[in-house]
Parts: sequence; C-alpha cells; structure tokens
Amino acid sequence: MSNIKKIQHKLKKIYPKIKVDEKDECVHLTGELDRWEDIVSLGQAAVSKDFVGVLNDVKLKNFVEPDIRQSAINDKKYDGSNLDVLIIGGGVVGCAALRELTRYDLKVALAEKESDVACAASGRNDGAVHVGIDLHGKSKKLSYLMRANPLYENLSKELDFKFERTGQYIAFSSWKYLVVGYLLLKSRAKRNGIKGMKFISGKKLKQHSPNINPKTKFAFFYPSGGSVCPYGMTIAFADNAVFNGGQVWLNTCVTGMTVENGKIISVQTNRGEVFPKVVINAAGVYADKIAEMANDRFYTIHPRRGTNSILDKSSVEHYGKLSISMYGNHKSNAKLHTKGGGVVSTVDGNLLIGPDAVETPLREEMATTAKSVNTVVDRQQDILPKLSARDIITYFTGVRASTYEEDFVIQMGRKTKNFVHAAGIQSPGLSAAPVIAQDVSDLTVKYLEQFSPVVKNSNFNPVRKGVTELRNLTLAQRDELIKKNPDYGEIVCRCEEISKGEIIDALNLPLKVDTVDAIKRRTRAGMGRCQGGFCQPRVLKIIAETVNKDYSDINKKGDGKIILGKTKGEE
Amino acid sequence: MRREHFDIAVIGGGPAGLAAATVASEKGAKVALIEREPSLGGILKQCVHDGFGVIRYDQKLTGPEYAQKEIDKLNKNETTKFLLTFVTKITKRSSDFVIQFVNRSGADEIEAKKIILATGCRERTSKQIGVHGTNPAGVLTAGTAQNYVNLQGLMPTRKCVILGSGDIGLIMARRLTLEGAQVVGVYEAKSAPGGLTRNVVQCLKDFNIPLYLSHTVTKVFGVDRLNAVEISKVDDKMNPIAGSEQIVECDSLILSVGLIPENEIAKQLCVPLCPYTKGAVVDQTLMTLTDNVFSCGNALHVSDLADYVSESGEIAGAMACAKIKNRNLVNVTKNKNLLYVVPQKINLDAPLDETVFYFRVAEEYENAKLTIYADEKVVFSKKYVHLRPPEMERLKLNLEAYSDCHGFSFVLEVGV
Amino acid sequence: MKELICIACPNGCRLTVDEKTNAVSGNKCLRGEKFALKEITCPTRSLTSTIATVFDDCPVISVKTDGEIPKDKIFSVMKELKKIKVEKRLKIGDIVIANVADANVNIVATKNM
Repeated sequence: MSNIKKIQHKLKKIYPKIKVDEKDECVHLTGELDRWEDIVSLGQAAVSKDFVGVLNDVKLKNFVEPDIRQSAINDKKYDGSNLDVLIIGGGVVGCAALRELTRYDLKVALAEKESDVACAASGRNDGAVHVGIDLHGKSKKLSYLMRANPLYENLSKELDFKFERTGQYIAFSSWKYLVVGYLLLKSRAKRNGIKGMKFISGKKLKQHSPNINPKTKFAFFYPSGGSVCPYGMTIAFADNAVFNGGQVWLNTCVTGMTVENGKIISVQTNRGEVFPKVVINAAGVYADKIAEMANDRFYTIHPRRGTNSILDKSSVEHYGKLSISMYGNHKSNAKLHTKGGGVVSTVDGNLLIGPDAVETPLREEMATTAKSVNTVVDRQQDILPKLSARDIITYFTGVRASTYEEDFVIQMGRKTKNFVHAAGIQSPGLSAAPVIAQDVSDLTVKYLEQFSPVVKNSNFNPVRKGVTELRNLTLAQRDELIKKNPDYGEIVCRCEEISKGEIIDALNLPLKVDTVDAIKRRTRAGMGRCQGGFCQPRVLKIIAETVNKDYSDINKKGDGKIILGKTKGEE
Repeated sequence: MRREHFDIAVIGGGPAGLAAATVASEKGAKVALIEREPSLGGILKQCVHDGFGVIRYDQKLTGPEYAQKEIDKLNKNETTKFLLTFVTKITKRSSDFVIQFVNRSGADEIEAKKIILATGCRERTSKQIGVHGTNPAGVLTAGTAQNYVNLQGLMPTRKCVILGSGDIGLIMARRLTLEGAQVVGVYEAKSAPGGLTRNVVQCLKDFNIPLYLSHTVTKVFGVDRLNAVEISKVDDKMNPIAGSEQIVECDSLILSVGLIPENEIAKQLCVPLCPYTKGAVVDQTLMTLTDNVFSCGNALHVSDLADYVSESGEIAGAMACAKIKNRNLVNVTKNKNLLYVVPQKINLDAPLDETVFYFRVAEEYENAKLTIYADEKVVFSKKYVHLRPPEMERLKLNLEAYSDCHGFSFVLEVGV
Repeated sequence: MKELICIACPNGCRLTVDEKTNAVSGNKCLRGEKFALKEITCPTRSLTSTIATVFDDCPVISVKTDGEIPKDKIFSVMKELKKIKVEKRLKIGDIVIANVADANVNIVATKNM
C-alpha cells in the first residue's frame, strides 16, 4: 500500500466524507465537517512522517472565516520600495530577525498590520522562559530552546528588557509519583540536556510559599527556568533594529504577492506594492495564508486560544514569588498541547496564572470569556488553594499559531526560492525566538550571497536603552534625574508611579508609536489596579502635546479613537 | 540630610484633607498638606453638578464651589502646601514618620509626628467585575468620563450604555445627555439602584433615560473601538441568565460599579483594614490601629456626601492635635443587617462626648429599629421608616457615661 | 394624590401631595413642601454645565444657573452655552450670560480660573 493509501484508509474509518489526497508531498484534506474539533482531530490524525505536512482545507459547515483585521489606512506610503528583505509580522520572531539582519548592510523592512509590535501571541503569553522538560527529544522546539535559554542574561542586559532567572518547580501531590516521577523527569532532563534538576521536599517548598496547597508532597526544581516581559522583549528587538537602520512599517498589512517562476517578485500591502529580494514569513496565525500567497504552503495553522490572568501584587505576599506547575493536575492535559498551565512569577512582581488551551477556527479571537478565566482559576487552585477570581486584576487571551505537526517550521521555501519560513511558532517560541531569528537571518543572508556579497553593518550597535524606571531608583538618584528634567518629578500614573518624563521618553524611543496602549506597554502607565482610570486623560494629553496631534487623533490602539469630539465649540 | 519637621502631614488635598489640614492648623499645629494634582479640591473639581454642602453650608453648591469654600478656609491659616507632589514612601523612624515624595523640584523627604491619610477612593474597573470580550477603546469608568467632559471639554462618547447605577453613573447619564450624547440605558445588576434616589429622579427620570434593574453587561464587542455590548438578565445571585442575551449597539460602555478606598500608603504603614469598608479600622478619633496614623474621608469609607467627608476630616484634624495619652480600645460590633459601622473601635481614654458614627445597612429595609448597646445597657435607639444601602446614616452620641464598658454593639432589627 | 421624591437635598424624602388641598406630607423639612408644590404646577431645575474658554490650562469652565429654570427650558439654555467662549479669567459668581434664553436667570461661573 502506498503511503497516502495508508492514511486514506486510516481516516476513512473515522471521517468517511473527507477526501484525502497527496499534494506537493503533503497530505491534503478537503470536504466539510460540522464541528471544529473534528476538523482539528482529523488534521492531527493525518500527521505522518512520510509526508512534509498536513494541508487541512476541510471547511466548517456554515462558517465564513472573517476577514483579516487590518488598519483603515489605505495609502501609497511604501509603494515602489525596493528592499533586500521584507519581514511579514511584528511578533517576537519578526522583530528579532529584523535586528539580526541589521547586523548586515541590507535594506530591511518589517510589515506589521497592527499599530504596534507584539500585539498578538508575542504580547499575550505568560512570559515564561522555558526549561524544556516537557519537549520531545527530536523536536525543533527543543533544540532551539536549549540554544536560546542560556542567552537571556546577556541579551536582556544588552537590550534593556526585564528578565529574571526564577527557576521552575514541578510539584507533586502524591508520594506514589516519587519513584516514577523522578525516573521519568531525570531521564528526560538527561535526554534534553537540562542541568541542575533538584529534589525539593514539601516542607522546604512550604517555607518558601507557606500558603501553597498543603497536599503538596514534593517538587523538582529546574534552575534554568526564567521569566521575561514578552512584549518588552519584542519592543526591545524592534527598537534596536530601528536604531540600526531597520524599518518597522506599522499598520501595514500584506494583501497579496506576485510570484513568478518560483520567486516572489512583489508584495502588495494596504500601503503600496513593494519589491523585496527575500521575504520572511513570521506571520503567526496567518503564516499558512502568507505561505499560500507565496505558493509555498506545506502546513496548516490551527489557532489555539490561551487565556492568562494577572493577580494583584498582594498575591505575591501571600503565596511567595514562585513559578510552579502541578504535575498531573486535574485531568491529563497531554492532549491539550499545553503544559497544563501554571503559576508564573512575572518580572513586574505579580503572579500570573494560566494558560488554558481552546481550539478555534478564529485566528484573531482575542476576546476573553468568563469560562476560560474560571477554568484557569479552578485549575491553579490545585497549587494555590485559596486563589479566587477576586485576586485577578486583569486577564487577556492570545492565540497560538500551532501546526498539526506541533513543531516550528524554520527553513527556506520548498518551491519558492526567495521565501523563508518562521512558522508554527508556539510555546516555547518566545523563549526560542532569539535563536530562531539568528537562523532565519543566516538563511536569508546565505540566499542573498548567491547573487552578491553581503557585508557587515560596521555601525551596528547591539545596545539598546529602554525607558528608565524611576520608581526603582534611590531617592538621591531620582532627585538627580529630576533636577535635570523636571518632568521626571511629575507623576502621571499613580498606581505604577510613572512620571511624565518616562512617558515622553517612551514616545522618543527609536520605534515611533503614539497610541495609549503602546505607551502603556513601554512604561506600565495604566497597568495598575485602576487600569488607567486616573491617568488616561493625562497620558492622552502628553501624547497629543508631544507628537503634536489633536486629542481626537490619538488612538487607544489601531483605529480606536478615545475622544469623539468636543463638548463645546463644535457647532 | 536635614529634613523639615512637621507636627502633622496630611496626605491628599480633597475635601477630607482640606478639612483636616484646616482644623489642625487652626489648633496651632505645624501642618504639611501634600496633594498630587496641581490644585487642591480633589475629585470635587470635576463634579460640576450641584447638591454639595446642604448639611455643611445649608446651600446647594457645585463641586468646585464647595471645594473653593474649603480652600478659602484653609488659606486663613498657615499651612505648607506641596502641590503636584506624589508621596512615594512613608516609613517610621524612631518616633517620627519620614515621608518621601517627588515633585518637579526633585525627590525629597519631610518628617512628621502624625500622619492623616485622606487619599480618597478609586473606581472599580471592568476587569474587576468580570466584563469579558474584546479590549477596545470606549470602555471607561464614569469618573474618567467626567474628567474628559467636565475638565477637558472632550466627548468620549456619542452613544453609550452605562453599567451600574452608582451616583457618578447617574450624574454622568444626565451630563452626557445634556451635552448631546445618547444614553441608551443604565443597567444595574442588583435589584435596586446603587445611587441616591434623588439622582435616579433628577438624572434619569427627568431625561427619560431607562433604568434596567437585574441586568448586566456580559460581553463587549469591537476590536479597536467598542461597537456593541451584550446585555443579560441576572438571577437573584447576580449570575447571568443564559438565553436572555441581547446586543445593544453603542460606542462606549461607561462603568459606575463601585468605589474602593485608596489605601496603598496605609498598607505600607501596616495599617489593618476593615473587610467591610476596605478602609482602615479606626477608633472615634479616626486614629487607625497604627499609632499616630489617622484616616478620614473616602479613604476611610466611601461616603455619599462630601459634607460627611469634610466632617470626618475635621475629626481627624482635631484629634490629631488632641493630647490623648492612652489607647484603651473596645470593639464596636454589628449584627448582619448592617453592612458596616465606622468607627470599629472606641478608645475609652479619648474624648467620648461627641462620638460620630457612620453606618450603612446590608439591604433595603422598611420599619427597622436600631439599638446601640454598651455591654447590655441600651445607649440609644431609633426607628427608621426606610433604610437603603446607598444612603449612609450618621449619628452623633455622647458616650461619656460608658467609659468603663467592654464594648459597644449595633443591633438593627427589621420589620418592627 | 401624587407621589414624588424630593430632590431638594440628598435625603430624597418620599412626598405625597394632595393636588386639591396642596397638602404635602413625608417631607423632613420646609424645602420639601416648596419642592412638591412647584413640581405639581411648574417643575423647575437648576442647571449646571460648562462653557468653552480660550485658555489652554482650563479649556472649559464650570457654570450654573443662579436660580431654577423651567424644566422644558433646559435644552434651549444648553444651546446658548455652546455659543460662547470665555475670553477673560473669571471668578466664582461672575455672570457669564445674563438672562439666559429669557429664563430670568443668569449663567454664573462656579470656579475661580
């Protein structure tokens, strides 16, 4: 029996109406099903090592996929641009790749459809720098993670983003797992190259976190675990890239491509047609759509939502600062393709709980639901028994860009020669991004070198300085800065103690942004317990004054105006 | 570093802080008043509606007028005012407090023997009440809307839904209507309005704005700017009833879902807080359980009248100047028909002749009888025809005769 | 008999008015009686709002009517307020518009600029 026949035979039993054939060395599925979970299960069942990937084109009955969300802007700002490299997608991988490529004397631009970088999964995750204990030994995920994990101390200093090597606990609630758990995790640690695994007694864990579930018997500790500010890291890459000559085109959405003879000739956007020599696909949940435009699709993205909640800072006092997950908590989460979530101690001094995992046909469904928030609270009560929804100050949902193969796709195009894939980037994608970016950059440079030599950018400066956080300085240091710039002495955000000077600094960073949300992510203004109630009018005023725009032209994000007019004088 | 030394530092220049600073300086104390905004008056500055001062001045004043009267009183005496100054940290060093602050001149510190916390309150947010859906522009609290409209002259909405029937929400419903916006309705999850009855009448009924009780917003729509909300009916436990959802098109969701005393500095000073008021536990001098730290105004408990806020500021200001040698604290307890009673303690060694109590009921009651006991002795009793949780009650009692009791208890009997 | 809720002060007394005898009950003070009698004949309200200014530090100034106006005149007064822009620094009580919309009341500033 041929390989495709085997798969046809296997799938026919479960989904008789589905057509299974071979296309470009991939398993191609077509037809229609009533339920999204069936379409996902089908795609999962079609994965085979005999094929490059799964192209799941099965339609969901009565479902029309919504248009991609994009800016209302329609101009010719970038029309006719000739580029060496165009990167599609301003997530962490796209921004890190942009920075890597500015090490060379190349004309590189990044197109991001939103009004800031890190608006999707890169800004909407738990910020964990993973240990890798849960990963398959032969996965790309593991090899990229293991290369990236040790880089964080230096990288975070170089680019001035927040990172903490917190370590990670895996806790157990029953002694019966002691031997099995130890043997399993120890052998996995050895296989995956994870160092420093330590046994922690329940008693010792309770000293660290007195309010942890008293049923916790023991835990293993992995010192290589860490925590990072996910959007802060992405912004840092973008800032440094822009400083070194890279371009970030915000509100710029790719709408089509012209491909001839296995080569992308041009890329169409809402802001004009551009002509890059190489295109990098870092488009997250839209990566398969972009690959299709480039005539080089060999994977399918099936979006998977995850919701995280941030707890009030007082929860750190109550539970201690720790990143922990409970082994085998609730029902097995193995099928859900998440570690089952956990508690993460964030770099800003909060605890974060989550995420859950919900398959969805909607690629940009970032609306939160009470159900997801409650599921996560319920699940993490296994670790923090007194946890309640009242401890939550905010919550957010991100959508993972998972492929059916559940691994990263980092390679040159198969059919289209000037196309680089950085797709299927999901957990531990954030942790692995710095190294993914290096490889993507290497592939790109190698391709370009076929035609002409690529020289280094002699002016490249790897160091980036973010906004100085005055609240962490001593009184004397603060006094000195205020004496130089009185705006540092005018507090705008009361909850997070952010000054006018810091907001103006954020507006003056290399990557120019002027939305209220963009400023919030760069300074934390509006992120505290009042969620911007007091400071939003003042932040709006400072932005309007600094960038010299009218109030009604300042957006929260995208095209979302905050002010719709004046009360008086508008007859 | 040489620090300027004060008898009393008042944190917050709203009505409570103004009254506290005025009274303390009248009594001869050296007072520092620290305000984070460029001018005094607190939230009154944006309350352009009237109804303030009916008790205190026997006049119906607007917020800014009331604030000016208080500022004028303060200015009759010498106080050191720190404006646009933000307190970053307060620590106790030997017998004094060291207050660190920043302003446009630098980062500095002063010392004070006593602290009066008059830090006001903040609004509950959409995330705290579990509003779900997208996160667009157009979700804001009533206080933020009030700031935009009344201080900046800016319109944050043309067509809105108001969730919650707290006083600011009702007042903003009227205010936005006057300025040409359409208020589709005010939705309240409870079965009774959260604000004062007079505000339901003069803000909603006068303008034919519908009030929907036992309804809440369950979802928000719109990616960049809000374009609709989902409204659901709720059951008597305030849980949304499946199948009752309806979509209402609008550009904003304005929230008036409660106020929470602002006590971040109190927490730094390890001041114990009361679970019912979310403010500090105090005795009748409004001293918290941390010696020489006082709390007043909305930071102590959220009042519905500025007049009571000023009164509590005056008590704190006066008592911070009084010489009280000992603290002999007894408890003030309450039965479950009462939501809270402030003060929660009585210092039997402090003046007892003019003890002011504030209380709220847990639910709406008709024909209720309040009895206050000192141990088993009846101190006071009063019948009320109508009691509503949004309307705070106040009593002033002379407790001198009970200076040797072991505690006071408030008992509200219903249906008598 | 007509039932009303008094808005004269925050007490919000529940009033009953006998339209034949003009007898008011349920009021805790005289203001309540006055309010009830006016409410059944010619309901009036005081109006508070803002007026635009030319000053950047204070783009609008709060104002009020210095007496009550008939309820049905509220929106015509609001319209008048939109027409003007304050060009000098005002103090509490300064008249901004005299006899606004022929309602026999003035618009006065409620804030010191």
